[in-house]
Amino acid sequence: MSQDHEHGLPPKSSVSRWFLTTNHKDIGVLYLITALFFLLFGGVLALLFRLELISSGADLLGSMGYNQAVSTHGLLMVFWFISPFAFGFANYVVPLQIGADDLAFPRLNALSYWLYLFSGILMGVSFFQGTTFAGGWTMYAPLNTPAYIPGEGLGATSVVLALIMFTAAVTLGSVNFLTTMYRMRAEGLRMRDIPIFSLSINLTVWMMLFAFAALLAALMILASDHILGTTYFQYSIDGTTMATDADNPGASLLWAHLFWFFGHPEVYIVFFPALGVMAECFQTFTGRRLVGRKWFIISMVLVALQSFVVWMHHMFLTGINLPIKTIFMATTIGISLPFDLMVFSLIYTMAKGRVRFTTPFLFSLGALILFIIGGITGVFLGAIVLDYQFRGTYWVVAHFHYVMVSGATALFGGLYYWYPKITGKMYNERLGKIHFGVYFLGFNLLYFPMFIAWETPRRVFVYPEGLQIWHSMATVGGFILGASFLIMFYNLFVSLWRGEDVGPNPWEYATSAEWAVSSPPPLENFPGIPSYATGKLEFLDDETVAERTESTPGAAAHGHAATDGGTATDGGAVTARAAVTATEMEPAHEVGGEEHASHASFWPFLISLAGFITFLGLSGVRTGSVFYLSLAAVGGLGTFGSLLGMTRELFHAPEMAIAERWPFERVEKMKLGMWTFLASDIVLFGAFIGSYAFVRVAYGWTAWHHDLIPAEHVTMPGLINTYLLLTSSFLVVIAMVAAERESKRGTVAALVGTFALGVGFLINKGLEWQHLFHISTESFPNGWTLSTNIASSTFYLTTGLHGAHVTIGLIICAYMTVRAWNGAYQGDDRAIEYFGLYWHFVDIVWLFLFPLFYIL
Amino acid sequence: MDWKGYTAIYVVLFAFATAQAVVEFAGLVDSAYWVAFALIMVLSVVKAVGVAAYYQHLRWEPRAVTYLVLGGTVAALALTGAAAYSIL
Repeated sequence: MSQDHEHGLPPKSSVSRWFLTTNHKDIGVLYLITALFFLLFGGVLALLFRLELISSGADLLGSMGYNQAVSTHGLLMVFWFISPFAFGFANYVVPLQIGADDLAFPRLNALSYWLYLFSGILMGVSFFQGTTFAGGWTMYAPLNTPAYIPGEGLGATSVVLALIMFTAAVTLGSVNFLTTMYRMRAEGLRMRDIPIFSLSINLTVWMMLFAFAALLAALMILASDHILGTTYFQYSIDGTTMATDADNPGASLLWAHLFWFFGHPEVYIVFFPALGVMAECFQTFTGRRLVGRKWFIISMVLVALQSFVVWMHHMFLTGINLPIKTIFMATTIGISLPFDLMVFSLIYTMAKGRVRFTTPFLFSLGALILFIIGGITGVFLGAIVLDYQFRGTYWVVAHFHYVMVSGATALFGGLYYWYPKITGKMYNERLGKIHFGVYFLGFNLLYFPMFIAWETPRRVFVYPEGLQIWHSMATVGGFILGASFLIMFYNLFVSLWRGEDVGPNPWEYATSAEWAVSSPPPLENFPGIPSYATGKLEFLDDETVAERTESTPGAAAHGHAATDGGTATDGGAVTARAAVTATEMEPAHEVGGEEHASHASFWPFLISLAGFITFLGLSGVRTGSVFYLSLAAVGGLGTFGSLLGMTRELFHAPEMAIAERWPFERVEKMKLGMWTFLASDIVLFGAFIGSYAFVRVAYGWTAWHHDLIPAEHVTMPGLINTYLLLTSSFLVVIAMVAAERESKRGTVAALVGTFALGVGFLINKGLEWQHLFHISTESFPNGWTLSTNIASSTFYLTTGLHGAHVTIGLIICAYMTVRAWNGAYQGDDRAIEYFGLYWHFVDIVWLFLFPLFYIL
Repeated sequence: MDWKGYTAIYVVLFAFATAQAVVEFAGLVDSAYWVAFALIMVLSVVKAVGVAAYYQHLRWEPRAVTYLVLGGTVAALALTGAAAYSIL
């Protein structure tokens, strides 16, 4: 295809396209390929430790090698393979299914992908820094802290930082998908009516938004323990060694709470997209609408909500009290009920329809069978008494893999299902069925013997001699499972050239919108503006849309375009096409008399590359090495510069003039994106404050202040900072008022005032910290630093995170002040309002930090 | 809302922040810790709701935005509350 038809993007055959593209379908393909690479990476590690387990003992990999292989396998498969694989499909399919031409923020989508890729590369690099992390994928404390990691532990720090980078990618993706699905649905497409796969992704990203924020908090705290020397997850420091008579009795439980608050929703985050694929395939290949569709959806919503109130069933063997264990046993048993309903819905759909045993259906059916086994065996672990017996054994390993890999099984079905849509070619059906047969045999031979050999301790390479036969069977099963992928890769690769060409819809009963356009679909997806207003899918031409927006001003108002974070400019001529993607904030990009959305940006790649260099540098700064310090400095500068570059880039991502937007009709996409991000940030700060509350309760709430905090830590600096932030918040709203009145001088003055007060806040904080670092009293002869005790760690890290938010706000404020000086925002205060949302949030957080850390 | 309304909110927020410090300066934290705790935290919640409702304009946004914010808040409170209760 020529460059003109691709709106400035090089053709797909050009390597440069794949670094530049922001198009959702390209990004989807990149996700799929990258996730499959990580499947191979994690799979090879699994085969290595299965070889090790042919006999008891670590005679092949060595003990440290075994621990590294097991830990990295878990981390790679859970984080870098399954979810990103699902989000390859989500990227490709969701905009098509809901009638959008792309995601709401295309550059953020590209940024999510590149952050994901580079986080995986950082994970790989960790192997070359001595040893990588070897404490299991759950990373329990205190084995996740430097004092308990052999050697320098730089590889382990890199893994923590890689996970932070990955989590940043996930958060950006969550914000993007939610904004897209609530602002860019085709006219007439109600939330309840969107195809079941898209609905499953919607619920998945809701869970991701909140669950990954808790994980981010846990990882940031852990990274701080590694790099800055805080002591959240460590026992007390006794000189240079770790002592076990802790002044931080909550250390390891804190990690378990934070990790599993994320970790249990993560199971459904992984499984829901698979459930969506299964439902799509069951409908398509039985020719029957999902039986009880409404109840299926209600069940998914229930599970998504319940997923946040079951996490402590992973902690039955810890010292938490019996009443809370009992409550969480009840909630855990409760969450199985909606799943029962979904399973029956799928079975009845099959029973009522006429099954066509294609490869995608076989994988979907196989996934359902495996999930039923995984689900039933999981109920045992939800019962406290049984869990006492099964926890930490191969029963958990078997159950966990029957659930998680059943999800992957459905996703492989999804790969076959959408392969013709993505490539325009049909795969070889016979080879697909052979793949399924070998896969299903290998899977069960690998994981079922683990139920029988359940007494094997988890993550340990030594087991009773009598269990060797089952482990040998599992190893053979593992190699069969691995070999089945050779068939898949051969089939899909060869079919790219030899496969039969397919039209828009190769499946007789597929009805969702992606099958209404060519395979692969054109760059902007549809031949017109999709609409379901008449009850069926239609494509409206520009004139019809323009007429409709003129006759219904409200609809046009919904079409206020916002940039994808790009530089906003003032107005422009509105052509008929421009009315379709009406814009008030920036001019249309005129190409041949028509405006077009942008699809190319190099900045997401550069930001991620610079971020990777920064994090690699940070992994080694505690050694004082010039190499690592230089990397951190260069990477930091690069990240700042490339973020600035992206902000300055003119990038056009128009909103649809006509779209279904319930329940956010009056919330523009930039504003909705900001609010969604802030909701995630609430959980991040909530988890930090919750961590503080938890360790303080563990220590003794009232004794904390007397034992651990010096008398020099007084209220006044906090009170002054409260006044400064409140006043700066006030000035931001005054800047809005001035911009609305088109008072340039007022706008600039208010923004300058905001900036000055923010700087004052940081200076005051800096002076306070300096003072506390250098106090010398009987109780604190060496000052009160980050490492002094758990109270000092919580104080510096929580208020430090807040200070980092203030700093980011100040950078944005400085940028906006310059733009206001040059005449921006007059008569249009929206950009100031969006910044204000962030700044006021930072203010609100301080309103709680002040009493908790200065008064109480 | 015009600048007068914003200013009135600012004055209230400023006064409440001062009141929190006064609770400590008056010695209530030492003499009746949990009363002081409740008082100070209620003042913080009132201030936070004020900033969100008027400065962030939640009062004039569709309710769905408030529910979005409440979703994050409830999640954070659930984690904090249940985790702390688990070790009591």
